Amino acid sequence: MEKTKVLVGLASCGISAGANKVYNKLIALKQADKLDIEITKTGCIGMCYREPLVEIIDQSGSYLYGEINEEKAVEIYDKHLKQGEPVKDYVVKSDLFETKDDTFWDGQVKIALRHCGVIDPENIDEYESHDGYKGIKNIVAENVGQEQVIQTVLDSGIRGRGGGGFPTGLKWRFAYKNKSDKKYIICNADEGDPGAFMDRSLLEGDPHAVIEGLIIGAYAIGASEGVIYCRAEYPLAIKRLNIALDQAREKGYLGKNILGRKHFNFDLYVKEGAGAFVCGEETALIASVEGQRGMPRKRPPFPAEAGLWGKPSNINNVETFANIPYIILNGAESFSKYGTEKSKGTKVFALTGKIKHGGAVEVPMGISIHDIIFKLGGGIIDDKKFKAVQLGGPSGGCIPEYLADTIVDYDSVNATGAIMGSGGMVVMDETTCMVDMARFFLDFTRKESCGKCTFCRVGTKRMLEILTRITEGEGEEGDIEKLEELAYQIKDNSLCGLGQTAPNPVLTTIKYFRHEYEAHIKDKKCPALNCKKLLTYTIDPEKCTGCTVCAKNCPANAIDGERKQVHFIRQDACIKCGMCYTKCKFDAIVLS
Amino acid sequence: MKKSNQLNIILNGENVKGNPGETILELAKRHGIEIPTLCNDPRLKPFSSCFVCVVEVEGMKGMQPSCSTKIQEGMKIETENEKVKKARKTALDLLVSNHYADCEAPCKQTCPAGVDVQGYISLIEKGLYNEAIGLIKQTNPLPAICGRVCVRPCELACRRNYLDEGAAVGIDYLKRFAADKDLLSETRYVPKIEPSTGKKVAIIGAGPGGLSSGYFLQPKGHQCDIFEASPNPGGWLRYGIPEYRLPNDILDQEVAAVTELGVNIFYNKKLGDNLSYKELKKKYDSVILTIGSQRGTLIGCEGDDAENVFSGIDFLRNMEMTGQKYDFTGKTVAVVGGGNTAMDCCRTSVRCGAEKVYVIYRRTEKEMPANPIEIHESKIEGVEYMFLTNPLKINKDKEGKLKTMTCIKMELGEPDSSGRRRPIPIEGSEFEIELDFALAAIGQKTEVSFLNDINKFSDNGKLEVNRWGDIATDENTLQTGIQSVFAAGDGVTGPATIIEAIAQAKIASRSCHQYLSGLPIEPEQKEFISRKDNFKELSSDDFLGRYQEQMREEMPVLAADKRKNFEEVELGYQDKEVAEHETARCMECGCTEIFTCDLKKYCTQYHADQKRFKGDFQEYPIDFSHPFIEIDNNKCILCARCVRICNEVVGANALGLVNRGFDTYVAPSMGGSLTETNCESCGLCISTCPTGAITENTSFKPGPVQLDTVNTICNYCSVGCELEYHHKSAFVWKVTGKEGLINKDGNICRYPKFGYTIMNDSQRITQPLLKVDDDFKAISWEKAFEVIADEIKGAEPDENGFFAGARLSNEEMYLIQKLARVGAKTNNITSFHYVGQGRGYESNYKANVPFEDIKKASKTYLLGAEINKDNAVVGFMVNNAREIENIPVELITNIEESALEHKVDQIFKIKSYYHFIKAINYYLIYKGLQNSLFIKDRCEGFEEYKTELLAEDYQKLISASGMCCQEHLEEFAENYNKEMNAIIIFSEKYISANVSKELFNLAMITGKLGKTASGLISLKEKNNAQGLFDMGISSKNGVGYTDLTDKKFVKRLIKKWNIKEFPEINDTCTKELLNEGLIKKFYIFGEDPIGCAIDKAKIQKWFADAEFMMVQDYFMTETTKQADLILPATFPVETSGSFTNAQKNIQQFEKQFKGKIEQENYAQLLAIIRNFSNNENLKNVDDIRKEIFELLPKKNTSGQYAFNYTRKDNWNKLFKHGCDFVVKKFDEDFDKAFNQ
Repeated sequence: MEKTKVLVGLASCGISAGANKVYNKLIALKQADKLDIEITKTGCIGMCYREPLVEIIDQSGSYLYGEINEEKAVEIYDKHLKQGEPVKDYVVKSDLFETKDDTFWDGQVKIALRHCGVIDPENIDEYESHDGYKGIKNIVAENVGQEQVIQTVLDSGIRGRGGGGFPTGLKWRFAYKNKSDKKYIICNADEGDPGAFMDRSLLEGDPHAVIEGLIIGAYAIGASEGVIYCRAEYPLAIKRLNIALDQAREKGYLGKNILGRKHFNFDLYVKEGAGAFVCGEETALIASVEGQRGMPRKRPPFPAEAGLWGKPSNINNVETFANIPYIILNGAESFSKYGTEKSKGTKVFALTGKIKHGGAVEVPMGISIHDIIFKLGGGIIDDKKFKAVQLGGPSGGCIPEYLADTIVDYDSVNATGAIMGSGGMVVMDETTCMVDMARFFLDFTRKESCGKCTFCRVGTKRMLEILTRITEGEGEEGDIEKLEELAYQIKDNSLCGLGQTAPNPVLTTIKYFRHEYEAHIKDKKCPALNCKKLLTYTIDPEKCTGCTVCAKNCPANAIDGERKQVHFIRQDACIKCGMCYTKCKFDAIVLS
Repeated sequence: MKKSNQLNIILNGENVKGNPGETILELAKRHGIEIPTLCNDPRLKPFSSCFVCVVEVEGMKGMQPSCSTKIQEGMKIETENEKVKKARKTALDLLVSNHYADCEAPCKQTCPAGVDVQGYISLIEKGLYNEAIGLIKQTNPLPAICGRVCVRPCELACRRNYLDEGAAVGIDYLKRFAADKDLLSETRYVPKIEPSTGKKVAIIGAGPGGLSSGYFLQPKGHQCDIFEASPNPGGWLRYGIPEYRLPNDILDQEVAAVTELGVNIFYNKKLGDNLSYKELKKKYDSVILTIGSQRGTLIGCEGDDAENVFSGIDFLRNMEMTGQKYDFTGKTVAVVGGGNTAMDCCRTSVRCGAEKVYVIYRRTEKEMPANPIEIHESKIEGVEYMFLTNPLKINKDKEGKLKTMTCIKMELGEPDSSGRRRPIPIEGSEFEIELDFALAAIGQKTEVSFLNDINKFSDNGKLEVNRWGDIATDENTLQTGIQSVFAAGDGVTGPATIIEAIAQAKIASRSCHQYLSGLPIEPEQKEFISRKDNFKELSSDDFLGRYQEQMREEMPVLAADKRKNFEEVELGYQDKEVAEHETARCMECGCTEIFTCDLKKYCTQYHADQKRFKGDFQEYPIDFSHPFIEIDNNKCILCARCVRICNEVVGANALGLVNRGFDTYVAPSMGGSLTETNCESCGLCISTCPTGAITENTSFKPGPVQLDTVNTICNYCSVGCELEYHHKSAFVWKVTGKEGLINKDGNICRYPKFGYTIMNDSQRITQPLLKVDDDFKAISWEKAFEVIADEIKGAEPDENGFFAGARLSNEEMYLIQKLARVGAKTNNITSFHYVGQGRGYESNYKANVPFEDIKKASKTYLLGAEINKDNAVVGFMVNNAREIENIPVELITNIEESALEHKVDQIFKIKSYYHFIKAINYYLIYKGLQNSLFIKDRCEGFEEYKTELLAEDYQKLISASGMCCQEHLEEFAENYNKEMNAIIIFSEKYISANVSKELFNLAMITGKLGKTASGLISLKEKNNAQGLFDMGISSKNGVGYTDLTDKKFVKRLIKKWNIKEFPEINDTCTKELLNEGLIKKFYIFGEDPIGCAIDKAKIQKWFADAEFMMVQDYFMTETTKQADLILPATFPVETSGSFTNAQKNIQQFEKQFKGKIEQENYAQLLAIIRNFSNNENLKNVDDIRKEIFELLPKKNTSGQYAFNYTRKDNWNKLFKHGCDFVVKKFDEDFDKAFNQ
């Protein structure tokens, strides 16, 4: 009889929600009682909106408890673990009964995330017990040729999950074909999009899968050295990667004559990036690894020809590598059976924003955006009106509500002007100002521009200035045209993806929400009632009771009125801080 | 390149062939298409940041930066279409939207004529007055006049005003100073006159506009005739401006400067009166109307027709016309108005004896349009002011004469259209003043009585007047309604200023010239001008605390009590120093790179607009902390060329990029000053900057001014770089590298880059000097040569010693040894540069690997070659090969902390080069690792060498070498031996003659001589150290380093020189002769043995008992100070000759400057030789060269090398700085600049 197993989701998101306390509490309780159960850490389970998560797997089945704090942990411990009575109120998922959260899982297919939340990422044995390292073992055991490995990857149809969407097998083939005394394989773990955490979840939840993917890649292209370029802002990921690397070395998956195969030498190290967004770009990443300033250069030559230290190099994203062992082990078909004609397999998305069920989800390509948001995501918070979704982070674009039937595949998404990107999906409701949203993303890219290309360095700054002006009510006739002109020029005249895509949020918002821009510029109004300087606060005399709370709280002393009399706001003095709006108990403050 | 390898490209629709690996930029350039680029430098790897070089390539997404896009078969490239142009313009617009800088100073921008103030101030600073006037006259032909009476908008705009003392630079005073100097000088500036075009222009009026038109047009080859209504020239200058401000003789001189160009002036000719357009049309191809605004206006109140009330200009003109001054003795005069005419009237009235003079003005002093200095002077002279007062009525006496004037008080209301507050009468404030005379100085009108005459006879248009009664013209070209008639000055603008009239004359002349040349009449193309004003309004805060405060040199004036006459009040700056001091106050607001800036060039070409993307901008303090290099980040466009050249060529990595995005800027590594980095002060960053962000931190005012350039060969080290001197009248402004035979990339090092200032040094010796009673007295050349000849003759031949510096030209060296052998009949001839160092250096040039092979090597070894400082251009080649071709560099040095450590791959610190090399040679031979085949085929003496070397104690050699251990030494030896293309670079500065011999032995043992990119590169300290050997500066060798025991050669010499016998060869070496005091008379050319001595006392002894010492040099050196006779020396640019570099490349240079020294070095030598030989018939450098070539031995091309065993090291250096004062001065000044 198997021991009852308790899994605590201890990825960064869980920890920040307080999972460590829960974990410690459970351990303490177990030790006190010497209860014969197994409590392990695991990675991201995916239901970010229900963190901290604790899963109990006993003889009867599995129970995923959500939003657990220390108090609830004690309760579950007492009732479920000690007395065998699950606390159904807290269960968010079970294989025994339905919960209202089940929609979150319906439609998900876990390939990349197959082990996340299932195994202990710090324990190689657990990975191995879930068919880990079997892919590379099989290759070595069956003496599968390099070209055959590449062919399998090619047949699976997997395309670069970092956002580029370039067929991974082809990329490998280029690097394989370029002869050199030394080759490199690099994992791009410089996830920098605001709101994206797919790579982090993978690295924290299943580092061995990424490492195995790299080993298979190294074998295929003939690389002897590998680098995982991970942003320093992911300390837990780096820690778990290093633990995993040590374990893999110890077990002979890395090092010389791997798995006993002669001349199969490969080792791997983690290079911490200083968190420059631009270092996600291949050539800038290489410059950064070489110790130079992270600045892109013109391609060609592509890294497959002249990459790290001038040698042929292959660079893939974390998610791409995480899929590889699965594909090798289960065959190309196991992956390509999902998805659409040109976009195969599954894709992990980080679902955030004004969405009820935020989290990391993995869905087969071809699912509609509408389904992701309204089925998996459970719809919009407070059931407000869905307005748009930003796909692809600052390099991507928005897809408006009326295009929500767009299916998730590279070509369909590109057709809207957005991009698939690495999987950031920010959901916006009617209270989001699209001009301000574009301004937010542009502010990000402007700050992250490396400063090399004129258009990206100065152009994004100028676009941001115009957007800021518009949101502050200083927009001028012709601003939209100026933005568009600059946007196209920046796209055309930048060396790397950062500049080439930076204007996308502006272009797509202008495309789908031009009227919002016009309202800001011509009417000096923000239709979403978001841009502070364009708001007017007035007092509804019908509702005002003269309680004086607003006047007392007004930091600008802009509200006049006698006690028990209707108050009014002096517009010239109002600083639009919204304090009165928040404080008024009678909903008498009107925003327009 | 094989044809078949070529790629087929379609470039702008044309089929062209491209070379594989070529970029689009290179391809286009080869096909004569200039693509603008700011971040590309052929010396550096492509970078692509500016995006100005973009092109469109069919099938490629977006635009492609042509500098880094390699061509591919079948590419279709468009370099000039609208899309490309638009992208380039946008890139430039964006760049200049964050280019907080001024191209031009506000003084120049404000001047209606655009006079280049900053430029002429720079010239005045250097005493180049004629040149300053030349520059001024490009835009203003009347500097002496304007220097006195201009209203000086420039000074109002001057940024000096922002500083505490609040006084502008004395721009006008300086102009006057230079103009007066020019007028007085013998070499007065005269513009170049082009050949006659046969066209004739009639100019109506000899005022400032007419004179200027003549000045601008006559040099273009058009005959200009001026018709003047008055009997004398000058117009308003003569008839309006009183003499105490502008003396007539100054006016006459400046008019003469116009007429001497060929301009005729016909007086008493008034158009429409005694001169008809009918006649002009017949005789002239074009007419320019510069008629002025002649008619005065009256006060315009009741009673202004009274007697003794007249217009100010009539008052002034009448006196000039009649030559009679008004007598105002004891009278009261009122002048109505607040302009400069009012000032002239009131101050003249004082001079006419008036007891009381009032100026009545309806606003306050602040609003007065008159020049403040005039107001100030008038007050000194006793003029009283009635501000906020307006005449209401003139009250006459019975005879109709002025009696009193009723005035009313005013107050200021709202500003009117002119921006000045409108005066409003205060009711009931009327008052009356008693007066004898009233002068109205409130405006003039243009008189166009000739209109009918012109229009009657015109057949190609009609002359019209505008609604103000002035001549109507096209405002940009000043062409009138009649095609061939142009107009300029007050007659067009209404009463204005002299400088405006001149500015208009320039425009009208330009249009007239276009008309006469059959060109379309177009205004000048507008240049792009970056302006700080486009970013923000400047204020005192931008200047206070950043500039030194210096009080203005005020104009000396006549004492107030000495002014009751018409003598000039302003006396002009009295001396050069005062003017120089005032020039120092110029803050040089304009950019020094305005003439060379690529950013500006392209911005003009693409009509960039600095305000199109106006927004936030970066403001940085300017970094002056480096003595030679100035960093102004405000101008930086982040092309990173400086950063990259410092890395890829220099290897110093002294500069880097800081921050990201819009906040990125270039800064010295580690964030401090450039002086705290590995900066080598080579100035290559300056050479590559496409704008003015990194410039030279000059000790003088750099201007900028348009410079002339000349080419020459560097006379510092032995690499032999070609240089370009940028100068004005031989004052050298800057030096740049020319793409030369040796320095193919045009790179140069710090010596020529910053060492040129010595040529501008005013301490230069220019005349022969004879020591009389411990003092030097200038003597004539003849006398000097006579003294030398007498001294030579008065001694035994071998008591004479001749010394030639390694900086001299081959021709000069040749003559020195000829003088010794023919004149003094001695072979005591050598160079201190090599004294006492034994033999060995003379063959260093042999088997030298050409510098350009450095990039083909497989490894480079630097052994005793600190090539970051000495011979740095070779250092650049080595580093560039390391950066671009990945050729490793190993350093073997005995210097504790070599400054090369950061740019090599491996370092061996040893103690003795000599023992190190010998130990290696020992090991290789001992182990039998020598290249026997090579030795057998190509070398002599190996067996003897082997026997002698192997007899030495190997362990002792190793321990003396200072190499850490035997294994490392042997490993080094084996690695070197195995290296296919190994180049060892060494320098005589650190290597003894015997080390160089042993290095040759090593190269022979390993068989590395005579192959491509393999072997030795020897470097010498001085530009022509090799010439010393080749020209026979040796007691035992003659020209071609021919042994003097060679009888046949000596016979040829005797014949050529036409001498009876050849002097005996002295077996004692020169050092011995010197030590034993056997040389009594010294003739030292271009060396400073005392100043450069390592052990001064030891060297001083040689000269202690000298009977006579002659030294030739540029400056007072420690050696010249001891001389009995000093001859001045000429710099290479001041003469012709040739230098032979360390690789035996002979490079000729031509005389470029008419030097300060009357007799060039070779001429001096020939003159001395003539004292001994009646048949010396060499006359010039060509003759000398011919004689040298005739004496040179036929080339020995056996190709055999000989082993040379040496017993011990002979390191015996006696002098630093190559024994050259020029190098010494640079080295010392350099160290001083950094240690301040």
